[in-house]
Amino acid sequence: MSNALEIASRREGEKAAVLSLAGEVDVANTPQMRDAALQLISAGVVRLVIDLSATEYMDSAGLGTLVGLRKRLRESGGELLLAAPKPRVRRLLDITGLDQILAVHEDVAAALKEDEG
Amino acid sequence: MRTSAPCRVEMRVPRRPEYVRFARCAAKTLALQLDFTYGDACDVELAVGEVCTNAVEHVAADACEEMVVCFVVEEDQLTVEIRDDGQGFDADSIGASDPDLEEGGKVGLTVVRAIMDTVDIDSGTGCGTVVRMSKRRERPSA
Repeated sequence: MSNALEIASRREGEKAAVLSLAGEVDVANTPQMRDAALQLISAGVVRLVIDLSATEYMDSAGLGTLVGLRKRLRESGGELLLAAPKPRVRRLLDITGLDQILAVHEDVAAALKEDEG
Repeated sequence: MRTSAPCRVEMRVPRRPEYVRFARCAAKTLALQLDFTYGDACDVELAVGEVCTNAVEHVAADACEEMVVCFVVEEDQLTVEIRDDGQGFDADSIGASDPDLEEGGKVGLTVVRAIMDTVDIDSGTGCGTVVRMSKRRERPSA
């Protein structure tokens, strides 16, 4: 069965990285998303930007995974930042109240800028 | 597509993660075919995805192999009934307290209640679970 999600990552300096999620995030592929993020964290990334600009669908399983990754990063003094969620994902963040917990930025550049600060 | 008499569409779906997408996309396609707005069709898709995910994640692995997704099409609304023959749960406990979001608390049913017009959960320990939820169709303004 083809995967509805394409995951790509790139490093931004020594401690930061951007994880891009293109397509649909649901219970079938959250393990891949988590594994990709954990791989970056294991390689020394402490500030992780999740690029949601091409994420067409996400459910609470995806959000739960992001919350878990944020907890993991914060335990080591890091942070998880969300960038450019589309209206559907932004609405889900609002409904669940996670927009009060997860840092949401207009785009990747803004998230990385906060990262520098 | 408009219909006057209620019409049922029933699917038996493997209770596996990779089939949740199939179920939710079918729901969205049907809602669009019934002239729901795109936003409302997306809500139906998300609600079906959340309930099916619960059936996949929280039912014991050996409890049942399938979940049944049934759509009831009426003139002004679409009702979706999703049932599994798993171990069930105490439905009264759902929503009794806010999930701990910081700890990744389960928020799927909170989402479903927020985006559907009616949600009814029929479940009890050892009795399986049936979730019925409906979305009214917006009529075009005159």
